[in-house]
Amino acid sequence: MKLFKFFIAILLCNTIISCSSDDDMGSLDGQFGNLVIKFDNGVEDQDFIFGVNYSKSANESYQLETLKYIISNIELIDADGTTFMYPTDDNVFIVDEADANNAGEIWITLEDIPAADYTKISFGIGIDQERYGLGAEGQGDFLQTAQDEEMLWSWATGFRFIRLDGVYSDNSVTNEALNVHMGSVGTSLDNYREVSLDLPNTVLVREMAEPEVHIKADISLVFDGQTSVTFSEGYSQVHTDETTTPIIADNVMGMFEVHHVHNN
Amino acid sequence: MDKKIVLVFVCTIFFWSCNNNSPENEYVPINLTVEHPENFPEIQYTLSNNPVTEQGFELGKKLFYDGKLSANNSIPCAFCHEQAFAFTHHGHTLSHGVNGGIGFRNSQPIQNLAYFSEFMWDGAASHLDLQPIIPITSDLEMGETLSSIVDKLKADSYYQEQFPLAFDDGEINSENILKALSQFMLMMVSSNSKYDKYVRKEEGIEFTDTELEGQSIFKDKCASCHATDLFTDQSYRNTGLPINPKLDDKGRFNVFENPDDLYKFKVPSLRNVEKSFPYMHDGRFASLEAVLDFYNDGMVDNGNVDESLLRSDSSFGISLTDEEKGQLIAFLKTLTDDEFLNDTRFAEF
Repeated sequence: MKLFKFFIAILLCNTIISCSSDDDMGSLDGQFGNLVIKFDNGVEDQDFIFGVNYSKSANESYQLETLKYIISNIELIDADGTTFMYPTDDNVFIVDEADANNAGEIWITLEDIPAADYTKISFGIGIDQERYGLGAEGQGDFLQTAQDEEMLWSWATGFRFIRLDGVYSDNSVTNEALNVHMGSVGTSLDNYREVSLDLPNTVLVREMAEPEVHIKADISLVFDGQTSVTFSEGYSQVHTDETTTPIIADNVMGMFEVHHVHNN
Repeated sequence: MDKKIVLVFVCTIFFWSCNNNSPENEYVPINLTVEHPENFPEIQYTLSNNPVTEQGFELGKKLFYDGKLSANNSIPCAFCHEQAFAFTHHGHTLSHGVNGGIGFRNSQPIQNLAYFSEFMWDGAASHLDLQPIIPITSDLEMGETLSSIVDKLKADSYYQEQFPLAFDDGEINSENILKALSQFMLMMVSSNSKYDKYVRKEEGIEFTDTELEGQSIFKDKCASCHATDLFTDQSYRNTGLPINPKLDDKGRFNVFENPDDLYKFKVPSLRNVEKSFPYMHDGRFASLEAVLDFYNDGMVDNGNVDESLLRSDSSFGISLTDEEKGQLIAFLKTLTDDEFLNDTRFAEF
């Protein structure tokens, strides 16, 4: 009888463990932790602030009242070259400057990351063709979220990958409308881009630690990146044009860098 | 022996404790098959991402006929897509929406959409699931947002019960709303017209001499664009319609801002064309006669007219005698599918 009670007790323990999703076996195998990615928008060596006038090339300046972009397909690569792609259905985020904390950071918390020593991070800006081609499949609430954030076109079924709204001035005009709404257009024009960034020090994801990756985005590079563009020459309104949108997409790809990493 | 029974009982309890499905609202899908007639091209929609089920179809139908999808709760999809007129807005050149808004274009039929890869007159939607977002959010049509629709449906007892029956995760969210609408539309296949039965050699159906003449003219002068048994090659073309300065609708140009796309519109399917009047992207022609008269002698050179419409005397048009027009129309009427137009599966009541 004693043996039987003991057996039941063991069974009970096993059952409780099997219902739980965070097994802890001591080694890194089977260990999971969270990782915070902080997006911090700036303009060159200044913090980005709404309504502040920033100068750029060609004697032009701009100030913004909306600044947001879509980040997706976040992937982590560890020291051995093993990759971990965050689960696709949850791997799409809107980084909205309006949601930033007082330090100007927008936090994305990734949950249940396999514990490992990560040395690289890569992610996409916008929505790739594969995800777009699924239609509603796997999108959950994201379509309504994107619409609420005004990152979904209503006249066409596509996403805005980056949205900058404000005004610009140059030698001849003052406070003219500036609207950069770059995205792919259906399946015909693909403006999705990916970046891969080395981490300055290894990120240690552990069950009991929540490391933070601090990514800076230099908004000035949207206009003065790989290619310098001029507002008065067709870049004050960027929507679906097949010449201007890929140039903005390439510039946006170059605006991110990992500034530092905190291992807690 | 008793111990064994207790053990089995205990195990059963523990396995159940991991499972939190309640027996009511159970997801037991009954699969439906999207019809693939032998004379049709391949299905374009990826059905494996959104398998059509009886419960999803019923939910989609309810949504299609529900005014809650619009800002004032009174403009359902079906307002501009009536079954008897091949799901178009009978007789309206342009459709109207919430708050008296008037749209820019003539509502298109909803039929055989499983076989299409792009939607709208300008191809602004490249996935069927995402197409409804355009009319739902247009200020001139339904003037709603997906979030607001989700909130309204969550408060409705029918939807509280039907979403868990239609989808494994049971969520009332934009993904499942759009999937259900797609399931309803995917089932809407029109393939039983006199033409279909004639080409498939069913029921001993024969064409009259006039219809045969019309078919021969059609193959000769129309079928390069109105291709396949969908009667469209799904391309975008400028047919030299005089520009209406009030609308100045630049067509596919609006999507890419590409000058080559100026005034191009999707080649429409001609199925049920007898019932889907008025015609052209802005509904300017009330009858098929008016359309054929336009092709014969109404085209203007707006700078980007499709080259296939250039005649040897360097004017644009498709030359048709009055007799040929009559024969063509007789042929076009063989594309009317009364079984589809009266199919109770798609009807509101």
